[in-house]
Amino acid sequence: MQSSKPPQMPSSPPEGFGAAALFTLAAIIAGFAIELLTSGSGITIPRWPANGLFLAAFASAIAAFGFGFREHPVVSWLGGIPVGLSLIIGLALLSLFGGVLPQDPLPAGSLVATLRLNGIFSGWPFAFVILLFLFNLGLSLLWKIVPFRLSNLQFMLFHGGFWIALACGLAGTSDLRRLVIPLYEGKESDVAYEMPTEHPVRIPFSIYLKEFEIDEYVPQFALYDPATDQVVAEKAGAVPEVRKGARAVWPGIATATVTDFRPDALPDKAGNPLPSKGMKGVPFAKVRVEEPGRAPVEQWINGGGPDIKPQYIPVGNYFIVIAPGAPKAFRSSVMIRSESGGHRPGVLEVNKPVDVLGWKLYQMGYDEKAGRWSTMSLVEAVNDPWLPAVYLGFFMIMAGNLLFFWKGIKKMEAA
Amino acid sequence: MTLVEFPAIAVTTAACWGFGSLLQIPAKKSGLAATASWMLMIGGTALLAWFLASYWIALERPPLRTLGETRLWYATLIPVVGYLVEYRWKIGWLKYYCMGLATLFLGINVMNPDVFQKALMPALQSVWFVPHVVVYLVAYVLLAASSVAGGHNLWLKFRSRSSKVSESMSHYLALLGFVLLTFGLVFGALWAKEAWGHYWTWDPKETWAFISWLAYLAYLHLVARKTDVTVLQWYLGLAFVVLLVCWFGVNYLPSAQNSVHTYSG
Ligand code: HEM
Repeated sequence: MQSSKPPQMPSSPPEGFGAAALFTLAAIIAGFAIELLTSGSGITIPRWPANGLFLAAFASAIAAFGFGFREHPVVSWLGGIPVGLSLIIGLALLSLFGGVLPQDPLPAGSLVATLRLNGIFSGWPFAFVILLFLFNLGLSLLWKIVPFRLSNLQFMLFHGGFWIALACGLAGTSDLRRLVIPLYEGKESDVAYEMPTEHPVRIPFSIYLKEFEIDEYVPQFALYDPATDQVVAEKAGAVPEVRKGARAVWPGIATATVTDFRPDALPDKAGNPLPSKGMKGVPFAKVRVEEPGRAPVEQWINGGGPDIKPQYIPVGNYFIVIAPGAPKAFRSSVMIRSESGGHRPGVLEVNKPVDVLGWKLYQMGYDEKAGRWSTMSLVEAVNDPWLPAVYLGFFMIMAGNLLFFWKGIKKMEAA
Repeated sequence: MTLVEFPAIAVTTAACWGFGSLLQIPAKKSGLAATASWMLMIGGTALLAWFLASYWIALERPPLRTLGETRLWYATLIPVVGYLVEYRWKIGWLKYYCMGLATLFLGINVMNPDVFQKALMPALQSVWFVPHVVVYLVAYVLLAASSVAGGHNLWLKFRSRSSKVSESMSHYLALLGFVLLTFGLVFGALWAKEAWGHYWTWDPKETWAFISWLAYLAYLHLVARKTDVTVLQWYLGLAFVVLLVCWFGVNYLPSAQNSVHTYSG
């Protein structure tokens, strides 16, 4: 891009900025006025096909203006950088409301709710600014595409990609569906719940949960202070892990050394750990505790589970306990059956969604009270028909970005 | 290497940077002093890089999760930008700001030590984790440097000693920073889709990332409009404030508290 030159001196004051800023301000004020009149009801984006038709009509209007009145001063101003810049700043200011104020539903009546500052991204001011933004960006884009010059490729990718991602992302929000499917071990289900209404719906496939599993990090030692309900920091400032040979030092209170460790065991009558043999056991550690001025003690402790009593060692006014490790991974082994009768196995895990008939299935949660013993798994099903268009925009932006980087480096070398 | 050794490492590194900087005074006349100075400054950074690497190994996960861990990266990388700028543009002053800022970050970390915590929540265990965070880190490092350079350019102008080279340097730092910011934003969106089911939900962190991106987008368009250079230096100097809010200020804003009651009435 020609303008990638380093800034030049001296330069003329930017023209057309005053008008552009007023124009943007007017759009924002008009938006807030509508919110005020409608008590902050915001806008509802229509669903397919109305949103698609609207977008097509809007793009045609941009093309008609862009080609029909290209020389008209008002149109060329509307597609110019001053208007673009003002709208970028307007967008940033509106986003600032969204970035500072909590975006939660509020009881109607408060000023924040009446202006819809608590739902800024679905309000009229935002919608107006976005529409003008797309109009302005669209015009500048058209004029860079026709007449076509390869040297404008970076511009087209950046601006075109952003236009597509923004327009399709926003128009498509109404078609985005997110459902929650609760699954129970050994049961099959094709019922999902719309969020946040919890309205039940049938999905075009069913899921059978074979097994739900949680992997945990290594459990940790802690010196628990019942008086403050807090954990006393260890000397190294670290939370000591429980594994064979591990040692924790709480200065002036106690030192604990793990002499034996069974990661997965069940207690016998005397509290000694036995291998869990495929049942869900808990970690046990044999700990030798040395307190100043007392003979060392050595005994088994565990962090407890649904049917397992926790064991701990009292030292002075504290207790040495085992805290379970944080969840490392959780996954559901499932069998997915479509309405047509086809079925296939799948494993759902965080960050590893599975595609089924246009839906993406996500491992979402489990019964957190039961933790590792949960037999319930929450799966989220997401269907976003506009995703390919948005991703096209993202990839165009990234391609333009690479070109911009490349040209920036070359200019830098030439400088 | 764990956080127990960190204060010693931080002090040694800061001392290397400090003595290295002092040696720059005789370095103008003496080649030996110049070599010693650079060995100290680069040595300080190398020590920190070594600490970072061994900390990574001890944690068994990338040290990119907490603010303290990211500050460690900034402290390591920001001086590198200073050294590279001197190598590339023969501009020496930036490195002092960079080492100063890095020392501040080390100081903050010594005062508020992190808890040594290996656990990484499942949502963070993704191929996107490292590219997304590293791209953002480097973007912030470059934009911090461009902001410092903008401020210094204003100071030069105030003393009627404006430098063309120094002005184009602040511009290129901002330009490269914007490129990385854009990648960081898009990577974040692609990751969010895989981890949480949607690429954009306007949560406060996303919103602030968007605002910071818009701030630098506006900068580029101001440049395209051939705005006065002094205005641009002011702009770059102040734009970093937005990034700071995005980086750690977000946690202190009401939007982060997710509490309805804070604002009713
Ligand atoms: C608000 C609507 C926008 C308008 C009217 C607009 C217009 C322009 C114009 C006219 C240029 C100068 C091109 C040249 O000198 O050949 C430009 C440059 C540029 N635009 Fe935009 N733009 C807009 C939004 C965006 C967006 C959303 C992005 C990013 C996705 C973007 C990224 C860029 C970049 C990277 C440059 C190059 C700057 C440089 O070369 O220094 N623009 N834009």
